[in-house]
Amino acid sequence: MHWRPACLLVLGIFTSLIHGTHIAEEQFEEELVIKSLEDGRVASTFTFTTLLKDASPRDPRTLALEDDEPQHYTLFPLTLGQLLRQYAITELHLTLNAGKWKYDSWGYPVAAGVGTGAELYAWLADGAPSSIDERWQGLRNALAGLFCASLGSLDEQRTTSPHLSFPPEGLLPDWDGLPHEIRHASHASEHVCTENLTPFLKLLPCKSLSGLASLLNPHRMFDADWHGMGLHVLWRPEGVEVRLNFQMVSDPLRSSTKKQDWSFSSLYDRTVVRTCPVAKSSRAVVSLPNNGVYSIVPEPSTIEAGKGRYDLKDKKPDETLDIQMQWGADFEYPLTSPASLVPFSVQRKLHGPTQDRGQLALVLQNHGSETIKVSYLETMPWLVQFYLHTIQIKVDGVRRDDLISNISYVLPVPHSRPATFYSILTLPGRSTVTYTIDVTKAFLMYTEHPPDAQRGWDLPPAVFVLLDPPSGGQHVAAQGFRVYSPSLLVDLATPDFSMPYNVIIFTCSVVAFIFGSIFNLLSRKFVIVRLDG
Amino acid sequence: MSKRVVSAPHDLTTSSGFILPALVAARLALALLQPFDLTHDHHLSSPLTSYANLQEGIYLFKQDIDPYSGGIVRHSPLYLTLFTTILPNSRFSAALLWTLCDALGAYAMMNIYRARQGIKTSSRDGLVAAMYLLNPYLFLPSLALSTSSIENALVLLSIMFASQRKPSQTLLVYAFLLHVSLSSFLFLAPLLLLLISEPFSHLASPRAFSGDFKKLPPLLGEFAVCFISLTMASTLISGGFSWIGQTWGASLTLPDLTPNVGVWWYFFTEMFDHFRPFFLMVFSVHLLIYIAPICIKFQYDMLYAIFLLAGILGTFKAFPTLSDPGLFLSMISLFPETYPYLRYPIVTSLLHLHAALLLPLFHHLWLSQGTGNANFFYASTLVFACANGAAVIDCVWAGLRIAIGEEKEGIVIAQE
Repeated sequence: MHWRPACLLVLGIFTSLIHGTHIAEEQFEEELVIKSLEDGRVASTFTFTTLLKDASPRDPRTLALEDDEPQHYTLFPLTLGQLLRQYAITELHLTLNAGKWKYDSWGYPVAAGVGTGAELYAWLADGAPSSIDERWQGLRNALAGLFCASLGSLDEQRTTSPHLSFPPEGLLPDWDGLPHEIRHASHASEHVCTENLTPFLKLLPCKSLSGLASLLNPHRMFDADWHGMGLHVLWRPEGVEVRLNFQMVSDPLRSSTKKQDWSFSSLYDRTVVRTCPVAKSSRAVVSLPNNGVYSIVPEPSTIEAGKGRYDLKDKKPDETLDIQMQWGADFEYPLTSPASLVPFSVQRKLHGPTQDRGQLALVLQNHGSETIKVSYLETMPWLVQFYLHTIQIKVDGVRRDDLISNISYVLPVPHSRPATFYSILTLPGRSTVTYTIDVTKAFLMYTEHPPDAQRGWDLPPAVFVLLDPPSGGQHVAAQGFRVYSPSLLVDLATPDFSMPYNVIIFTCSVVAFIFGSIFNLLSRKFVIVRLDG
Repeated sequence: MSKRVVSAPHDLTTSSGFILPALVAARLALALLQPFDLTHDHHLSSPLTSYANLQEGIYLFKQDIDPYSGGIVRHSPLYLTLFTTILPNSRFSAALLWTLCDALGAYAMMNIYRARQGIKTSSRDGLVAAMYLLNPYLFLPSLALSTSSIENALVLLSIMFASQRKPSQTLLVYAFLLHVSLSSFLFLAPLLLLLISEPFSHLASPRAFSGDFKKLPPLLGEFAVCFISLTMASTLISGGFSWIGQTWGASLTLPDLTPNVGVWWYFFTEMFDHFRPFFLMVFSVHLLIYIAPICIKFQYDMLYAIFLLAGILGTFKAFPTLSDPGLFLSMISLFPETYPYLRYPIVTSLLHLHAALLLPLFHHLWLSQGTGNANFFYASTLVFACANGAAVIDCVWAGLRIAIGEEKEGIVIAQE
């Protein structure tokens, strides 16, 4: 029988051909970065990266046709892949955060998207049979279903196109010059919770069963002082990358101990027992302090540039990994502010005692000695409307209106579109720049108020980006990094919610009374009646 | 009891020549001193007339951002172009300009009164001017730099030209007025009819319309030319037609629910979504249905018809400010012959006093103090609407009742 081996050979070649043409190579990497912060807290950042090699985003012109790309993924999340292809999304960023990131004492985060609440933005190309806005709406609703988050409320009342502050992180494919557009929306009052983490874990190849993801313990994650998760999809020359990250800032000093000690078991109440078998690399990186007595167990496999690295792939199957950092001395809270971690810091407030108008104030502090430029973006819902002619910029009390330039402004549309205000602010060295603008607060129809109307409305954070920092300075890395201001709460005047019928009845009665009286007079005439006898 | 409640005090008649300049000077001094910042007061300026919104429009216009692509600018492009070209734009020049508008309004009132009496100068000139300049409903919006003061001056100027039978001037001023305030459409028919009839008082001796209707088509044509050329100019200035929806559309669709002294804002705040378009139509049409009956009933005295329609607008227009009812109340001084026949003048005055005290109080309690809610202010606007309505009803009554004359022994006057 000579034909049998030959047949097997042919079959083997055939299957390898099928694999070669259809199944793209996938690569999964995971990393955990732990850093002790100035104020005694500990920041941990989990990053899970899946790369679909040689894949490219779907050309929106093919949306009319049947999708001929098979989605045979093994590591790449299928639910996400389907969604990206259905709406032909080139780049996508979703973050869900709770709390206020304190740039001044924590420095810049590992992942830039730390704005309070939900933020979603996507780059899409035009040219599809359905418009960009229709696909954007579909994307919002699909992600809302995928992540169990109220992303459906990121509707046209919150959607803007701030292309200057949110440039694409990856590449945009060139489909015969089809224009790409950005859609951005944020919803500051959206809260991140366990129900969002479960679908997040489902997108990982090892779920939370093994590898670094096994440390993601919801009881500890959502108990942290600051926590947030992000989903990023972008196109790089190697292929389509999906990056999932989870950031948290825990406070080891919260318990009775006075030391900044931490370990996997104290931070996450878990240890790494098994490694994720499909991960190409699996690393934990701990920033080692520059001064102070400490011990770290186990010893990092490599130490370079003040960072200890652990490779989880080196772990023996029967041992568990529980990195422990122990300090020699009690933590002393820095009473004098240390050398600034960030080139500039921002405060943003809404003043004004009345419910009909107010003033938005920014205080920007340039910590360096050289002049820097930052871009300033407000994506303000129409509830708060700017009076651009009242912009005042003061440096240490002296009026300097020349410090603002490149203003671009998309006007809000009442009851629908938000305003987009973009400008570039120049901050002279070692100075405090105060920016104020008068605003009016809108009056809403009673159906537009949320059920807890007296609570107020959360306004999305403003976004600042450092442009061309002074060369050679310590903050070169900060260039292009998005800095989010805290979100604001605005108190809008409310009508009485129990009164619609009464108001309709009262007003109509008054109108009818006046109308009736006038027409009574106009349609009748005066006559003289003689009284006889 | 005598019903003659108002008569000109003697000293006013002797010094009437000084009254207008003296009042204007006092008014200017007050505007320049700026004792209070009233520009954001909801009673004195509506979103359509607010000085802050006008300044925003001018700023955006200068920055080459289309002010009509959204937002809060609801002023006519004509204002924007005037303030960026001919008129200086500063707080000081604004004080001068708004005082000038008030002075023009008072001057026009004086001239309307003279034209109605058919005399060159009258002993009541000073009183008429004082009624305009001293009316708090008029000078407070003017201090707040509300463009409703400009609109009032335009209304009075167009009536003045019409009473003086100057068709071209009337139609030009009126076309401008209609551009900056769409609800002034109510004045179109009576103004044209006034142009072809006469301004003299015929209230006591009603008769059929005396004018010649053949003169109407050329006047209408001239008005259409004025109006269309202003529309074209506005379109050219703003570079598109978006200004129409943003300015005229606002008074029909009420996109801004900022509280004011009228009846629309709270009604449409509380309106069910699916009834909103219907009631918007009802409220707009409701304004129009007064035109024909009033013009027909007072066909012998078009000036009185205009006066009554000003009262209707002050009560029922979409974005009223205090200067709209103020104009009506000041115009009462043009018709002294009706005073003895007003129906319940005391009740109406007390209602007005009541509303004038309640409005600022409840507004403050709701929006600043936080101890009252929206219903408080809504209730005071209802009282105000009743006061304005009562005033209009009084004047309709007096205008008709005067024809019968005083009641004598042995007769009773009744409505048929």
